[in-house]
Amino acid sequence: MGDLLKPDLGLTVWTIVTFLCLVGILKAFAWGPLLKAVDEREARLKADREGAEKARAEAERIQKELEAQMAGVQQKSKDLLAAATKDGEALRAKLKAEAEADAAAIKTKTMADLAAEKDKLVGDLRKEVANLSVLAAEKLLHKSVDAGVQKTVLDGFFKDLESAKKAGSN
Amino acid sequence: MNFESILAHHLVDHKTSHKVVATVAGLPVDMGLSPLIRTMWIACGVAIVFLTFAARSQSSLARVMRSMFEPLALFVRDEILEPIFGHHAGHYLPYFLTLFFFILTCNLLGLVPTMSGVTANPWVTAGMATCTFGLIQYAGVKEQGLASYVVHIVPGGVPLILWPLLFVIEVFGMFAKCISLCIRLFANMLAGHVVSLAFLCMIFIFAEMGKAIGAGMIVPSVGLALFIYTMDVLVSFLQAYIFTFLTALFVGGAVHPH
Repeated sequence: MGDLLKPDLGLTVWTIVTFLCLVGILKAFAWGPLLKAVDEREARLKADREGAEKARAEAERIQKELEAQMAGVQQKSKDLLAAATKDGEALRAKLKAEAEADAAAIKTKTMADLAAEKDKLVGDLRKEVANLSVLAAEKLLHKSVDAGVQKTVLDGFFKDLESAKKAGSN
Repeated sequence: MNFESILAHHLVDHKTSHKVVATVAGLPVDMGLSPLIRTMWIACGVAIVFLTFAARSQSSLARVMRSMFEPLALFVRDEILEPIFGHHAGHYLPYFLTLFFFILTCNLLGLVPTMSGVTANPWVTAGMATCTFGLIQYAGVKEQGLASYVVHIVPGGVPLILWPLLFVIEVFGMFAKCISLCIRLFANMLAGHVVSLAFLCMIFIFAEMGKAIGAGMIVPSVGLALFIYTMDVLVSFLQAYIFTFLTALFVGGAVHPH
């Protein structure tokens, strides 16, 4: 076994020469094409990855745009709804005010009509009562009273009646 | 039986021809061929053929092979070199990929019957460590410049009086790192072969006590040897990774002194 450790410089030199030749040969014939293929594949993968990342960024951008558009549409519809509600409220208030005004006008007119009708009826009743009173007085007095006297008497009568009515209401 | 002679027969390289081209420090540089050198060349041929075919061919078989080699190459690039060298990784990548696949092929080829365990020889791993040492110097000088590299061999903040001492220590440390690389790979790969042979020799050792005992040892011995052999496959990958990683670490230390 001592021979194993016996110096063999020739073997060492052969090893160095063989190894350095192998470096040159493999560099020229094997590593060049192999590493070139590896580099090309890595470059292709890198390009694919960058393309995929770009596409993803584009998709995200489009999604954000759509979300922004959707938010705008929602806001617009919300605004339109709010405006429609406001208009409805205003229209309702307006119609209500008009209806109230109409009702008040009808009420006022009706009251005026009623008052006029009442006054007319009261006037007619007075005339009737006066005529009946005159007829009754003529019958009592067996004589007719001329129209002038009759008017004078009746006016005096109604005047007294008004006075008595006011005194009674006070 | 002589276990040591069996080990020596299987693990020691024997020159089949001799050609001394020089003498270094009294030691001859014999460039004669040996089975181990031929196995190393076969490993190189296998690596060249398989890797070139996988890299260049468009056939389905090449695609399958490429899908096997690419993860290993990417592992060397992404897990070993890039954390250490950063953007310089591409410059050193061919060297480290070759280093990884050369050691891996030699390790695996050493497990094939009739082939020699190339990386189980210290003088082969010494050659690999010498390449690492050379790469450390080349990378250090290339990235920092000669003067800066020499100055930064010693860590910053050292008192001036200690600088020469630390310089010597650091230079020795540099050699020690490479020697440790050499011994680690050789010892790990040798250990697998020694243990496998030891388990197989147990059959014959016990057979000398009695043939029945020796026959009874066949199944456990072969089973254990196969287990170690399987472990050796794992160790082949592991040692190729460790040698490549540590080389990258040492070279990275020279490239980035801080």
